[in-house]
Amino acid sequence: MSFLIAIVSLLGTIAIFYTSKMFYKKYQNEWLTPILITPLVIIIILLLTGTSYKSYVAGTGILSNLLGPATVAFAVPIYRNFNLLKKHAFEIFLSIAVGSAVAITSSFTIAVVIGLNNELVHSLVPRSVTTPIAMDISNMIGGSPTLTAVFVMVTGILGSLIAPLVIKVCRFQRPSSRGLLLGMGAHGAGTSKAFEFGELEGTFASLAMIVAALISIVLSTTFFPAFEHLVVNILLP
Amino acid sequence: MKIVKSIVQIGYLYVILFVGNSIARLLHLPIPGSIIGLVLLFLFLQFHIIKLEWIELGAGLLLSELLLFFIPSAIGVIDYTALFGEQGVKAVLVIVLSAIVVMFATGFTAQLLGQRKKGDTA
Repeated sequence: MSFLIAIVSLLGTIAIFYTSKMFYKKYQNEWLTPILITPLVIIIILLLTGTSYKSYVAGTGILSNLLGPATVAFAVPIYRNFNLLKKHAFEIFLSIAVGSAVAITSSFTIAVVIGLNNELVHSLVPRSVTTPIAMDISNMIGGSPTLTAVFVMVTGILGSLIAPLVIKVCRFQRPSSRGLLLGMGAHGAGTSKAFEFGELEGTFASLAMIVAALISIVLSTTFFPAFEHLVVNILLP
Repeated sequence: MKIVKSIVQIGYLYVILFVGNSIARLLHLPIPGSIIGLVLLFLFLQFHIIKLEWIELGAGLLLSELLLFFIPSAIGVIDYTALFGEQGVKAVLVIVLSAIVVMFATGFTAQLLGQRKKGDTA
């Protein structure tokens, strides 16, 4: 029986994903993006049929597992566009350093001001980097790695919905700006979105995601404790 | 035939991932094995140890279906019933506000730095 649930979960997830992808292509509406519709439909089905997440994941773990080789595969677009990236190295590094610092400070400050509990605050701080690194950082600064994984996911979904609006309103025309803000603001999901804009945008986003991960590890262990002390003890005593 | 080739190539990527994971574990690095694998593959390609054709199809398939691999973790949210209340709404608000600020700051910095170089469109 559990084997059957596993098989149905896997095939069902793939079927729902491709159906929603088809609708997304046909109607060109951002809200129909498969990363929003697929989880919603599956959650409704799981709740209606009373299936636990544990038995669902037993079948679909293989899909999450493929994130590993997929991350390795990002080396291909980076290799193909290496000359371009070398030319923009300074721009990439500085933009992502600014983005990472803003991500940490804004998540923390807004979460404290809005009145979230301590565990949620610290689980939110690393949310804008790719899942495995975000979970490690969360652990280091006193958050809950599993909650962080959920927030990273939500960041990816909402971030890739918000990004096209930010790009439109701010009139960011350059592929580098577009790609970097997508990779920085919405990690893997943003990078996927960036490839919809174009190969250049996607490449900048892949690189942003990697650089953001590395810079965030450094900032969370050096800059964040000092910033936290400043906000908690001096600005909001 | 193309699908068989892609699957074999994904197998190669798993081998690189395994090497990356082993390095991270042996050297106690705070970096995930997948990121080390990415850097390794890049270096192998750059120094012509691995030819692009050996992995191109598999890598392309994984990257084009990336969103599918995020779906199962997204559904993990159903185990956090506390998030369906007030704290959850607040957390989403934090994410939305912070994401807008982060994207603006990143995009703006890139735009500013890029514009200084004239006649450059990328």
